[in-house]
Amino acid sequence: MIRRAARRVRRVTRCSRRVGRVARWEASRATGGVDRRTLLAALAFLAVAGGVVGAGVATDAVGLDVDRDVYRVGIDPASPYADAVEAEPSLTAVPAEEATLGSTADLIVRDGRSDGGPTGVFVRAVDTPKGEAAAASFREAVDAHNERLMAAEPNETAAFPVTVTLRYAARGSALADGETVGEGDGGDARDGGLAATDGDESGDGSGRDGSETDGGGTAGGDDSGTGDGGDDDSGDGTAGGDDSGDGDGGDDDSGDGDGGDDIDDGGGGDDDGGGGGWWPFGNGDGSGGLAVPSIGGGAFGANSAGSPGSITPPFPFASLVLAFAFLVPMNFLAQAYGSSVLAERTNRRGEPLLVTPLSPTEIVAGKTLPYVAVAVAATALIAIAVGGGAVSVLAVFPIAATFLAATFVGAVFARSFKELTFVTVAVSVLLTSYAFVPAIFTNVTPVALISPLTLVVFDLQGEAISIGEFLFATGPTAIAAVLLFGLGLGVYREEDLFTQKPVARKFLDALVVRLSPVGEGVRESPATGIAARIPRRVRGLVAVAFLTACTIPFVFVAELLAVAVLFALPVTVSIPVLLVVIAFVEELAKSVHLYAGFERGVFARTDRVALAVGLASGLGFFLAEKATAVVQAVGLTELYVGRAAFGSVAGVAGLSPLVLVGLFLAPLALHGVTASLSAVGARRNRTTYVLALAAATLVHAAYNVGVVSLHG
Amino acid sequence: MGSRLTVARREIAGLRAEKTILLAIGIQLFIAAFSSFLVVGLVSMYDPGALDGAEVEVAAAGDAVADLEHAAAEVPGASVTRYEDPAAARAAFDRNAADATAIATRDEGGGVSVAVTAPDATVETTVIVVQLRDLLRTYERIERVERADSLSRPPLPVPDSTGTSPYFTFTYTVLIPVLVFLPVFISGSLVVDSITEELDRGTLELLRVAPVTIGEIVDGKALAAVAIAPGQALLWLLLLELNGTPVANVPTILLLMTALTTLVVGVAAGIAAAAPDRRAAQFLYSVAVLVLFGGATAVAGGPTNAVARLAIDSADPATTLTVVVYVALAAVAYLGVRRLITANGIGE
Repeated sequence: MIRRAARRVRRVTRCSRRVGRVARWEASRATGGVDRRTLLAALAFLAVAGGVVGAGVATDAVGLDVDRDVYRVGIDPASPYADAVEAEPSLTAVPAEEATLGSTADLIVRDGRSDGGPTGVFVRAVDTPKGEAAAASFREAVDAHNERLMAAEPNETAAFPVTVTLRYAARGSALADGETVGEGDGGDARDGGLAATDGDESGDGSGRDGSETDGGGTAGGDDSGTGDGGDDDSGDGTAGGDDSGDGDGGDDDSGDGDGGDDIDDGGGGDDDGGGGGWWPFGNGDGSGGLAVPSIGGGAFGANSAGSPGSITPPFPFASLVLAFAFLVPMNFLAQAYGSSVLAERTNRRGEPLLVTPLSPTEIVAGKTLPYVAVAVAATALIAIAVGGGAVSVLAVFPIAATFLAATFVGAVFARSFKELTFVTVAVSVLLTSYAFVPAIFTNVTPVALISPLTLVVFDLQGEAISIGEFLFATGPTAIAAVLLFGLGLGVYREEDLFTQKPVARKFLDALVVRLSPVGEGVRESPATGIAARIPRRVRGLVAVAFLTACTIPFVFVAELLAVAVLFALPVTVSIPVLLVVIAFVEELAKSVHLYAGFERGVFARTDRVALAVGLASGLGFFLAEKATAVVQAVGLTELYVGRAAFGSVAGVAGLSPLVLVGLFLAPLALHGVTASLSAVGARRNRTTYVLALAAATLVHAAYNVGVVSLHG
Repeated sequence: MGSRLTVARREIAGLRAEKTILLAIGIQLFIAAFSSFLVVGLVSMYDPGALDGAEVEVAAAGDAVADLEHAAAEVPGASVTRYEDPAAARAAFDRNAADATAIATRDEGGGVSVAVTAPDATVETTVIVVQLRDLLRTYERIERVERADSLSRPPLPVPDSTGTSPYFTFTYTVLIPVLVFLPVFISGSLVVDSITEELDRGTLELLRVAPVTIGEIVDGKALAAVAIAPGQALLWLLLLELNGTPVANVPTILLLMTALTTLVVGVAAGIAAAAPDRRAAQFLYSVAVLVLFGGATAVAGGPTNAVARLAIDSADPATTLTVVVYVALAAVAYLGVRRLITANGIGE
């Protein structure tokens, strides 16, 4: 026993030493003198750019307004509205006498004037969507102009007669139900954390502090250059996340003092516990200011102390922008890594390495290690810069791993640098949107947690994250990374690395590596590892089921993307198309490796074998799907506290047990039948496989339609 | 010319064989679809009323509540119900009879202070807060008009709101430029790969034996890369046209886009010829494109803005000038790079 353990330890040390050696070699190659020159050149580019932009700022020619001057407004230059048009980037003024609606102007503005000032305004827009959009822009411009006028008023009460104090509170009943995101336990945890940072206020309810950070972080996104109480508080609460952006922490601190006073003034009735909190718009006087660009925030014209215009919805804009910074280095890293892997494959350069005692896993681990290290280092640096903590670094790690894993598979499959570029771009685009888009909905819906980046947003907002949430967000991504590396490693061998084959055929090869023979008369290779412990009769079928189960994360991602892509279509089109697409994705996942098995001679081409592997594949898919459903229910129970997750269960409570068992097993029957159908087609040739796959998709889609109409 | 065309044809045949151009088009389709998904999501967050007529029920109390009710009458997305005192309003909020509470009191300074309570951390919070803001801004406007005599410059009357599609501006200022410029970057990246690959595999030596000059090889590769770009952009513009988004000045947009492609391809060829390997070349190319394009976009009248204005039919002489400047810039940059490569060779 002890001897075996000692042997194992020795093996692990030997293995890690080998990996370390490869890693050092890879790192030394990448940081040779030549690449230092490259880095200098890149820095030179950046310096030139900085100079150009700096000169632009100095001459006032810089502005990131993509919508600059897209609408033309015919207006008399003497009109008071001319100033409003002037200040709005998307509008450009055309002198009224030259303006003809439809050809040189999209909008004509005339103001009715009496001696006291303007009494009304007449807007005539061209009768197109463009005219409507121009009219809406003009309205926003007037609103913003009025806010600026008022800000300059000496009589503050008359300019801003309404002072708003916005407060977030849990409903008395809602608190008992605890039906929303982390309201019960999550809230407490985060309050605890914050109470530690400003302990002097401990007497007046820690719940308040929690949501103040929350609200403040969101206010930061929109009020660029306003610096009201809320913003400054958040700068303080999120450990300087915002301060680092603008670098005038002194101002922020003074604003914070004001905000703090305000809380104490208004916070007398704060007795509701839970997530309540005052969010003062009080007495910020524009001294501070956030350097977060005012993308989309200009419309609010928020430049007032506590006026209604300064209310911003709880949308974590600033945190999102900062979270995006974590994704930027990944793209560069993936590109360098892909180049390095593909460079091994050109001119058989990697062959000497393959004939050494090193195993492919050790080579790949060694080659990957430096890039993982750089990713972690870059993430940590960014985390320090934007005010994130260890959670941010841990949450970004699976994303980095998936970037590298997908690039690795791409580089092992690609035939040329050109092909690799397309693969890398595709990987970057897909993963960036998969990580970033759900994070936009961070404060809106718990489903946002499917992206690890949501955790980063939470972390930047200073909210506590439970272990369950963390695993729910990072688990799928991490599993996908491991599976992708596994897929690529299968073909990291001499006969595949240095041959030129289309990507699709390489993909089939990679799948076949993971299969075991089924049926009589096929060549067998001795089994190794865990596979050797499985009885020979079922070894092939277990491998099929396992491989099918492994496709589940990718099936889910593909289905999510299909939903996203079809989102813009009208419902009458998108729902049927979606049902068919989902059916197709699942059928493909269940049968593509079966096709690979028949094609490469791992399975005997008989109908009996086809039925057997088809049923095994269906069973594997069914089990994996149910397992994820259980995981999701557990994960989502924590999030929704039962409301959504068990809503569907409640609906079937009245049915008899027999029907329930039938309902539970119906998907199993479906998956088994359709997978066998595809398998029978796959055993003949490609054409019959495609036809059988289409038939299976239709059967599956019909089942989906049935289920959807049954559930109403 | 003949040898250039041969090289270009060879390049395009290589692309066709790998079918990667399909992947490129797939990526662009994905980006187009995803951006619309994104914008629908963002709009629903900033302006929930734009999607469906969400109505927010506000429980109000306090001595200034009557004015708040007046304001609510003007706001379509909010309605105000009066309660006896703040406690009653809060009770209504607690039993889910109201989405929010607003306690409006007049203070001694002559202003009104409103204490608003919104539900914490529920899915509807954003919608409620957006509607509350509309309500309170209307209230502010009414109160301001009443105090207009104390103002040195009274606020301008605001025109009536009209219906507009929130996606309209986005489509022209973001989606169309993105779709038009993506092929530009892809073409540049292709040239980098094509040249570094020849170097890496040692096939450039073979080409040198053939009766072509270095300049002609670069020309051929650049020609292939530039030739495939406008077609992709045209495909997108036609697709948008089919989808009911009219795009104006298509030839001018394509001209500007081709000029930019030539510029980027020139830069890419220069980098690929000077950089030691593909990794360095792609890295430098990415940085250079980011810098070039970011800089050009940041400066007023950049290519992004020019395309938006051309597409939305708000072009003026300045836009035409931009196009001319970029065409000239592209010609100068490409010829400069070509000269440099002819003089220094590739990878030396």
